[in-house]
Amino acid sequence: MVVRFIHKLEENIVALLLVTMTLLVFAEVIMRFVFSTGVTWIQEATLYTAAWFVLFGASYGVRIGAHIGVDVVVKLLPEPLRRLAGLLAIALCFVYCALFLLGSWDYLQLMHMIGIEMEDIAIPKWMAMMIMPVGFVLLVIRFAELGWAILTGKKDGFHLADEGKDSMHLAEELQNAADSAKAEKDLSDRNNQDGSDANKSENSGADK
Amino acid sequence: MTIAVLFLILFGCIFLGMPIAVALGLSSVGTILMFSDDSLASIALKLFEALSHHYTLLAIPFFILSSAFLSTGGVAKRLINFAVDSIGHVKGGLAMASVMACMLFAAVSGSSPATVAAIGTIVIAGMVRAGYPESFAAGVIANAGTLGILIPPSIVMLVYAAATEVSAARMFMAGMIPGLMMGGILMIAIYVVARIKNFPAQPFPGFRALFRSGVIAMGGLMLIVIVLGSIYGGVASPTEAAAVAAVYAFLVAVFGYRDMGPLKDKPWRYEGEALASCVARNLAQIGIALPKSFFDAEVKRVVLDAAKVSLMLLFIIANAMLFAHVLTTERIPHIIAETIIGWGLPAWGFLIVVNILLLAAGNFMEPSAILLIMAPILFPIATQLGIDPIHLGIIMVVNMEIGMLTPPVGLNLFVTAGITGRSMVWVIKAALPWLALLLGFLILITYVPQISLFLPEYIDQLNGY
Repeated sequence: MVVRFIHKLEENIVALLLVTMTLLVFAEVIMRFVFSTGVTWIQEATLYTAAWFVLFGASYGVRIGAHIGVDVVVKLLPEPLRRLAGLLAIALCFVYCALFLLGSWDYLQLMHMIGIEMEDIAIPKWMAMMIMPVGFVLLVIRFAELGWAILTGKKDGFHLADEGKDSMHLAEELQNAADSAKAEKDLSDRNNQDGSDANKSENSGADK
Repeated sequence: MTIAVLFLILFGCIFLGMPIAVALGLSSVGTILMFSDDSLASIALKLFEALSHHYTLLAIPFFILSSAFLSTGGVAKRLINFAVDSIGHVKGGLAMASVMACMLFAAVSGSSPATVAAIGTIVIAGMVRAGYPESFAAGVIANAGTLGILIPPSIVMLVYAAATEVSAARMFMAGMIPGLMMGGILMIAIYVVARIKNFPAQPFPGFRALFRSGVIAMGGLMLIVIVLGSIYGGVASPTEAAAVAAVYAFLVAVFGYRDMGPLKDKPWRYEGEALASCVARNLAQIGIALPKSFFDAEVKRVVLDAAKVSLMLLFIIANAMLFAHVLTTERIPHIIAETIIGWGLPAWGFLIVVNILLLAAGNFMEPSAILLIMAPILFPIATQLGIDPIHLGIIMVVNMEIGMLTPPVGLNLFVTAGITGRSMVWVIKAALPWLALLLGFLILITYVPQISLFLPEYIDQLNGY
């Protein structure tokens, strides 16, 4: 229950950030072409929203398997080795996150100490960059979750994205639409034939 | 030494099955820590700045969002109707119309596998019913689908622009003629085959029907007109054009075509409805539906789909910029370039090497990942050899197209096998003759730079540079 709520919240934040940055740029274009004025803070706001979107979304991407990679080699390995490779990969991902956590923490402390503000918006820079450590902590959590799933045998590695598979839902949607249209046509054809017989047409109407 | 460490860690991580983004980031940070004295804080700042200081990069999520709204079965059907009405009456017309539909859908969606899935599902079955061999139909579609990344607006081109910092607008101009040309080559080949094998032609539906389907298709096609018009005209940057395109695509999908969202299955005009009441009803419905659509489950799914792809790409790009930073500070491309020039390799020889390298890489990696790793290396070498960066970009994109048709990671092969229900081997055989055309086209593009460079240079002249 709590997990589902968190997942919903995560999805909503990701979607909201993407929509916000789109609408910000759209608003800027409208301001410029329709009202011939510019708004200075929009560009900076858009760029930081984009950074928040990506750094917040990276962990969401790990959960839903959005990241791409090469799994041709790993798939060739026999079962215990494949899981071992998966765990090793997770360990390296932890190293990656740890390095960036350390780095961003150092930098944010420095920013906090100096107290610089952003260029066009009156917010301290360290606040705007808080998403760095937050994003990487979230990433650590998702990698840990994945590592646990590999350790307990629920998964055997990263669930990497496959654009080909993703496109197949389009094909399925069209196929289903075609099938149901055909079924409807068959049905109406049969009804028309049955229409000649008054008794039967009532029956088929009831069936429908 | 530095080169060896960087690439060993990179490929080690990649083949271990790690996400490419993390592999790029980890190998770069590792190399920096081992061989230079940059602090971790400055590296972290570089990653953040990669995302927060590149306005042009934002065109990527916006285009992905706009294509997510319009990459639907409904849009595919409308484009196919329009294409069949316009050239279906020629001999072999159904196949030619399929190529045209692929080109149109490719421009709107910017994705090759999605083009094959959406257009292929409808037209392959249609062609088989009309008396074409299935292998012919499948081969044509698998190839025409690759145009998705060549015809602008294309996401792969934006990724190249991000990796090399060439102008995305110029890439979009350069892709236009090659894209149309490849489509034209496919159509001519189909016409020749159709003449020889005597394939059927569709009846001409009449100008009324053509006009009608044209107007309906225009809703989606206006997107291309808006984007390319504003970019070619120099009115808006690709980022701004993409943001407008995303909002436009949302409006067309939800309020124009009504394939999704709160107005789904509510027609513009019921049969026998008076015009005044129809207008009033639609205005009221749209007024109510606009706020509703922000909470609509289908609209949200589309946004999340787009978010998924864009954050994956942007996260790779951010890490790839670190990688590119390591390459430049360690002068790796320069060392390679000097070695190559030392061998006396001419520009044309270098281009052959590039083609072979990219074709090999295309066998096991996705286009955007290859571009982000290879472009920062090849780009400085090409500049030293006097090859235009825009021309190099188009060559790389055409190579990526071919990579979509070669196993084992040929996305288009996979999708074609999925929609026809045939085996991979069957699809490869079906696609092979058309792949040969594509290879010939690659040679043409590689050695005749004017094909790619004519339009950007012409537009520059018009603007008086």
